[in-house]
Amino acid sequence: MSNTIQARKAPGPSEVLDRDNNLTFTFNGKRYAAFSGDTIASALAASGVTVFSRSFKYHRPRGLLCCAGHCPNCLVQVGDEPNVRACQRAVQQGMSVSAQNAWPSLDRDLLSATAIADRLLPVGFYYKTFIRPQALWPVYEHVLRHIAGLGKISSETEQAEFDKQYLHADIVVIGGGPAGISAARAASEQGAQVLLFEENPALGGHLLFASPERANALPPLLDKLQRCENITTFTDTTVLGWYEEHWLSAVRGSRLFKIRAKAIVVATGAYETPLVFDNNDLPGVMLGSAVQRLLNLYSVVAGQRSVIITTNDEGWEVAADLHAAGVNLAAVVDARGPDDCASVYVDYIEGLGEVPIFWSHTIVSAQGSKSVKGAVIAPVADTGSVNISHAQTISCDLISMSMGWTPASGLLYQAGGQLSYDKEQAAIMPVKLSSGVYGTGRVNGTYEVANQISEGRLTGLRAASFLGLCDSPSSDEQSTIAACINSESSRNSDLVLVPGKKKRFVCYCEDVTDVDIETAIAEGYSSIELLKRYSTISMGPCQGKMCSMNTIHLCARANEATIDDTGTTTARPPASPVSLGALAGQNMEPVQVTPIHEWHLGRDAKMMVSGLWLRPEHYGDPTTEIRAVREHVGLIDVSTLGKLQLTGTGVPDLLERLYVNRWRKLHLGRVRYGVMCNDEGVVMDDGVCARMDTEEWYMTTTSGGASAVFDWIQWWTQSGWGDDVHIVNRTEDFAAFNLAGPQSRALLQELVNSTDISNEAFPYMHVRPVEVAGASCYLLRIGFTGELSYEIHVPSGYGLHVWQALMQAGQRFGIMPFGMEAQRVLRLEKAHIIVGQDTDALTDPIAADMSWIVKLDKADFLGKRPLARIADEGTSQRLAGFKMVNSNAIPDEGTQIVQSGDDGKIEIIGWVTSSRFSPTLCEGIGLCWLPTEIAAQNKARFTIRTKGRLEEAYVHHGAFYDPHGERLRM
Amino acid sequence: MVLLTCPNCGPRSTQEFAFGGEYNQRPQEPLASSDSQWTDYVYMRDNVWGLQTEWWYHRSGCGLWFLAERHTKTNVVETTYEWSERG
Repeated sequence: MSNTIQARKAPGPSEVLDRDNNLTFTFNGKRYAAFSGDTIASALAASGVTVFSRSFKYHRPRGLLCCAGHCPNCLVQVGDEPNVRACQRAVQQGMSVSAQNAWPSLDRDLLSATAIADRLLPVGFYYKTFIRPQALWPVYEHVLRHIAGLGKISSETEQAEFDKQYLHADIVVIGGGPAGISAARAASEQGAQVLLFEENPALGGHLLFASPERANALPPLLDKLQRCENITTFTDTTVLGWYEEHWLSAVRGSRLFKIRAKAIVVATGAYETPLVFDNNDLPGVMLGSAVQRLLNLYSVVAGQRSVIITTNDEGWEVAADLHAAGVNLAAVVDARGPDDCASVYVDYIEGLGEVPIFWSHTIVSAQGSKSVKGAVIAPVADTGSVNISHAQTISCDLISMSMGWTPASGLLYQAGGQLSYDKEQAAIMPVKLSSGVYGTGRVNGTYEVANQISEGRLTGLRAASFLGLCDSPSSDEQSTIAACINSESSRNSDLVLVPGKKKRFVCYCEDVTDVDIETAIAEGYSSIELLKRYSTISMGPCQGKMCSMNTIHLCARANEATIDDTGTTTARPPASPVSLGALAGQNMEPVQVTPIHEWHLGRDAKMMVSGLWLRPEHYGDPTTEIRAVREHVGLIDVSTLGKLQLTGTGVPDLLERLYVNRWRKLHLGRVRYGVMCNDEGVVMDDGVCARMDTEEWYMTTTSGGASAVFDWIQWWTQSGWGDDVHIVNRTEDFAAFNLAGPQSRALLQELVNSTDISNEAFPYMHVRPVEVAGASCYLLRIGFTGELSYEIHVPSGYGLHVWQALMQAGQRFGIMPFGMEAQRVLRLEKAHIIVGQDTDALTDPIAADMSWIVKLDKADFLGKRPLARIADEGTSQRLAGFKMVNSNAIPDEGTQIVQSGDDGKIEIIGWVTSSRFSPTLCEGIGLCWLPTEIAAQNKARFTIRTKGRLEEAYVHHGAFYDPHGERLRM
Repeated sequence: MVLLTCPNCGPRSTQEFAFGGEYNQRPQEPLASSDSQWTDYVYMRDNVWGLQTEWWYHRSGCGLWFLAERHTKTNVVETTYEWSERG
């Protein structure tokens, strides 16, 4: 063990350590000791570590500042996890921690010694340096990546588990300090279901780490809370954002919560504000609350001799705590005069003994190179001006700042609240909050524990009364509590900046100084939003928690404007940093699978995603599959087809309106191909519809269009075209297969007992219910492939059984299962279009060479009006089949059809939508869009540009294979 | 707007619904309608800054297409009703 635990004091009442449980971990390769309950920061501080990180731009050493998980100073890498706040992460046995952004080491960072950063990284450097010459950007980028940066992301890291949880509540209370706890309790007592969120591991807020006197208020609060039944508490959970209608997001570790609330109480407290003075970033300069957290939670004192800088009574509480812990107090330096501090005399001064007190003084500069060695203090007037000629230096190794608080108003802003600067409080306070949003505690400017408890209770009641659970609290009660709050002494002051000669940091994340702010404003970036974007102030890991109030003050002063006129930057979610993994959630890609899915996998099918479905692309060799269909028999799983059952006397009228072709006279037991258009005349979908019974119809849609077509039909039936029509989506109720090939009838006959399925008894484009292998099926004699074929629709539960029976019986016929690829070639040989591949969002059926199906002489249907016009005026482009002159040159789908223009330049005149080598014809074939005058001439030559070459092709009218459709009707 | 009231199912998360666009009525006699009437119906949308009547579809619910009157400024939905109940 290289370090012993030396800065550890005797345990106090608020200590959270288990001193019987010793742990070890490493920081930058060195071993350190910790107790169970320690954070990385508390354990390192206990071992005397002062430098935790190097700053973003200047690589200055940085130590603990806030110890509350807000500032960027203790960001470290834990294993392969970057940007972990050392003050929040509990030590685990053996964990490996390292510093970020330091080179070559944290102690000797060479990048800080060079003056490069100062010259090359002025305020707004993003817009000034590294711009020219542009060719050097890769070099700049490499250098900048090296200098600036947070942790390192490892691409080796295994995917973590993330999930989401949805929560519902009457009232959500955000912040588990005294005000939040009281509000939760009061609301729950009125019967509200309450969720209470606290970002720290335990409830209590500032009472957890306050001096023992204040902390005494906590146990009774927690005791009463435990007795409330309808409060659910979430600790370690940070509320990230407010969205419309009180929809909140929160995160706990790897879980994202989405919460619907009826009202919310914001009790998020406040962030302690640093003072801007020379070297205010030196390790050893800490916020008073940080000193108290380290001392009272972990019994760690971050120094041996401390100077307290304060403008309020809380600094004196820090002094009292340190004194009680036996720390040598070098001085208490209060910017106020003794006359303003009567309460201090009563509460603290006597107990502190012989401590030197400097009234009306403040700090001018912190001395030291890598850590605090001394503090220079000087008299300060009420106006904030410092009398440097009376400055004196006090030797010390810890400077504690208690300058006041910035309310954590982010969620109030997000929720549409109006806030305004309160001069008395020297803080931005809520003025008008949105309906159902309440603020209480420090965020509302209430600091005394007793007042926080009573105001919290009142707020809980107001939220409950908003929900109608009780009457609103009486105005007497409200004004009594308001009077108590108004009599509190102010925590904040206008003392924000002490001018000097060294660097004074406003923004610790991005290394922005007060001079940078002045420069930016002088350069014209005077509005607070522009100032932020130009200087990147408040855009770092702390998201303005440390710097926003100081920035507003400095911006207002430089512009000689009021705080209200200066305004604030916009608060947006997330209010605290969150890992992208938590936002992304689980890695889920839902897919639909057919009842035959496992069988396909067992046959080593290559699966492909098709819409939401997984479908076999092929089972090894699509060409063999094509041959099997053409010569023997094949079986394809088409369970993905959309399937709708339409019942009622109104169905024929509906079909007449939905499809461009005729339906009214379709006889029982017949099936017909149909095309649907919208009122632009654009092809939406195609499929077949069968009349199963006088008033019952069975429609199939394309696999990809199933859900859209169902929604579309629902829309028309529910807006006037649905008289006596009932529609059920049966897509998942039925599995469907296409049994295709010259042997398909002989095969099927073996499975349908004595049912006569001969060509005479069951001709092409007929449908009938038939038992196949004992299962009740619909048998449709249709075919996309151009061969004699049967589409078998079977209840899903029997799907696999019927599939296997067909495969079994098919063995002696040479059956092969075939996939999407074979089907695409088979249908292309028949020049059948695929909606969405050969058509697009502008394609009408006339241009798609299907004018035969458009029955303009029937009554109104969707698309009739535009189609009548198109039929009249003609189309400039047509879909046409083509063959390649060189049968082995298969153009890529989507490639252009070109010709030489008048000026000799090549112009695009069309494009290829489908193309394949046809193993049946041994030719290259396809479908393409061509100018009508070319498409109209059979054998017309044209040129396709593909793979960097020009290939000759010619128009082919009609199907490539079996043009008269004899094989379908065998 | 996080919740939308389906006339069938009551208030439900908007994630269950699909937006169906501005409500406009198909001309009763398409062939008798003028080009500008037809163009208005097929292509033109008012895109109002205020109260808009629009289609919503309870896709992950009961399957009802209904009309909602929503303020496009504030996102507040004043009322929802079935097509047959429109004024």
